[in-house]
Amino acid sequence: MRDWASKHRWESLLLVVLLATILVNVSLSPFYLGFGNFVNLFWLSIEKVIVVVVMTFVIINGEIDLSVASVMGFSAAVTATLYDGGQVPFALAIVIGITAGAIAGLLQGLVITRFGLPSLVVTLAGLIGFRGAARVLLEDRSVGDFPEWFESIGQRTLVGPFPVALILFFVGLALAWVILERSAFGRKVYVIGNSADVARFSGIEVGSVKLRLFIASGTVAGLAGILFAARVGAVQGTLGETYELDIITMVLLGGVSIFGGSGSMLGVVLALFTVLNIRNGLGLANIDGITQTGVIGLLLIGSVLVPNLAQKYRLRRPRAEAVAHGPP
Amino acid sequence: MKAIKRRSRALVPMVVLALVIAACGGDTDDTTTTAGEATTTAAEATTTVAAETTTSAGDTTTSAAAAGDAVEIAAGDSITATFLPKCTNIAVFPQANSGAEEAAAELGSDPAEFVGPADCGDTTGQIEFMTNAVTQGVDAIMLSNNSGDQLDAPAQAAADAGIPVVTWDSPIPSATGESVFVAQVDFDETGQVMADMARSILGDDGGQFAILSATPDAANQNAWIAAMEEVIAGPDYANLELVETVYGNDVAEDSVTAALGLVDSHPDLELIMAPTTVGIVAAAQAMTQEGLCETIKVSGLGLPEEMAPYVESGCAPEFALWSFVDLGYLAYYVAYGIATEQIAAEEGTTFVAGRMGEYEITADPTRDAGLRVLMGPFSVYNAENPGT
Repeated sequence: MRDWASKHRWESLLLVVLLATILVNVSLSPFYLGFGNFVNLFWLSIEKVIVVVVMTFVIINGEIDLSVASVMGFSAAVTATLYDGGQVPFALAIVIGITAGAIAGLLQGLVITRFGLPSLVVTLAGLIGFRGAARVLLEDRSVGDFPEWFESIGQRTLVGPFPVALILFFVGLALAWVILERSAFGRKVYVIGNSADVARFSGIEVGSVKLRLFIASGTVAGLAGILFAARVGAVQGTLGETYELDIITMVLLGGVSIFGGSGSMLGVVLALFTVLNIRNGLGLANIDGITQTGVIGLLLIGSVLVPNLAQKYRLRRPRAEAVAHGPP
Repeated sequence: MKAIKRRSRALVPMVVLALVIAACGGDTDDTTTTAGEATTTAAEATTTVAAETTTSAGDTTTSAAAAGDAVEIAAGDSITATFLPKCTNIAVFPQANSGAEEAAAELGSDPAEFVGPADCGDTTGQIEFMTNAVTQGVDAIMLSNNSGDQLDAPAQAAADAGIPVVTWDSPIPSATGESVFVAQVDFDETGQVMADMARSILGDDGGQFAILSATPDAANQNAWIAAMEEVIAGPDYANLELVETVYGNDVAEDSVTAALGLVDSHPDLELIMAPTTVGIVAAAQAMTQEGLCETIKVSGLGLPEEMAPYVESGCAPEFALWSFVDLGYLAYYVAYGIATEQIAAEEGTTFVAGRMGEYEITADPTRDAGLRVLMGPFSVYNAENPGT
């Protein structure tokens, strides 16, 4: 146990924070401990947590995708526009919407890998561009009245008390864990994140790995946009606006280095649980939205500050322990 | 190449942090009122106002039912309740909550929790607060819906849990999960009042006007705009031309931008009609700053205390509103009455709500489904009746 804790400093710290959050929540609100609330807690943020999983890969790889929330809006807008026109069957409109997300990821990935431009700039352009496209498609309209089966995907439960989107998330999470920490592809993601040059010299096809990650990011963001539409029952051009911040917050809080190369799925899952539980607890204690955002913002600053301070402290002592990098 | 890469990597955390900090400081109002430049126009403007201030307001009649049947809602058990506005940072919503607090005190109940999203366009935030209220097992929810049908599912969940959902200010269009809607005024009458104000401001020769609304989805604003469009289709309003409807999302900056956009795209525009307290102030402020008050007037629904400088300057010769304090008060009485089973949410129920008197629950004539309690009436404000 102590061995595990020393190898996983950040995860251990998060576990402590999470347990503390749960204890505070239990003492604050008698309604917190309930199965229904546990499901709600995920259900209310399901679009974000799905994208968090793929963002983890992108950031460990040493890149960033700021465009995810705009791509969510873009995919949903494409689907809604096709559906609103009345020409295209809705199921097909969904497929085209998700494909549009994949293409958005592909385009950005190509610019990043072929022209060697920083992903920060390219996806910042994507953030503006795809949001603009979504708003051009829908203008000020709100498209709703989707078929019954579609809204039930987001709103009704499939197995026991679990909505479809929730099941999708847990399956995706398991898959992502295996790929990142148990597959050759996952290894490459870490190596590239540590040093793209070293990866290139070792014969890793850096561009191909990056490109695949951006396509995945676009596709998952597109899917999240559709799930959002199903949960809420309407699509507007502003769908998902500013969600990229919450998504990146959860990944960084999970101990993933913003410089790439280190971080673990476990850390991100713990961070995700922590953020969702803090929001839920504050909500049940009737604390308003502005304060909730403030608390999460403080957490993020702490998550960047604490490891840096800890490292400085360790460096000052000559017999420094090796800084743990990568997965276990 | 390598150097660029390294620098860009160092940029990443900085940009991310900056973005997050920007998002945290999301409090956007603080609209500094800049009036006083238009001193010369004041005299002129007052004359036009004085000339025509005939608007059809106040003909709302409450409950024609026999007085003897009315249930007087009385103090009883304390209830737990959630008072959920469209958002918490617009002046009218804390006002409504103060009315609800007044009612709770009279009824010997704990005040309702006043919670809501920071931003009026935040539909998912409202879904979250609604879901949390159901989890908390409150006795009643009082809601001003900030979207269209997006709240259907959580409202139905509340109804399934036996929690009455009393909407006020803005209803659930389909009435799904809703017990009753406490309407501030008759929604068709809102259209009539806005059309009459437009006619009074534009004069006999009419002219072009545009609408600056809240969010594109807002159930109440959309109903009012539809009602107004219907009224101005009539022969008496033939020379009023509605050129465009734009949306400022009940955010001050967005509304200013939308108002200035209208000015740019319609050179013959003479009036901006804003059926939202945020939009009307923003439009008046924008016209004042641009020095356009002479040619483009502003009207709609506004708070007297926020509009006073623009009434004085002649930028907004006339506007209307109802009391949000009374609306919150009445909504709390209705919610309390239903939650304590003193009254039933069904057609024909009559009741007495404290200082406000007798009301009746009727079918809502402005929606396909749903029940309504009609508060009314409108107050029209102008230079003679500034309301402050």
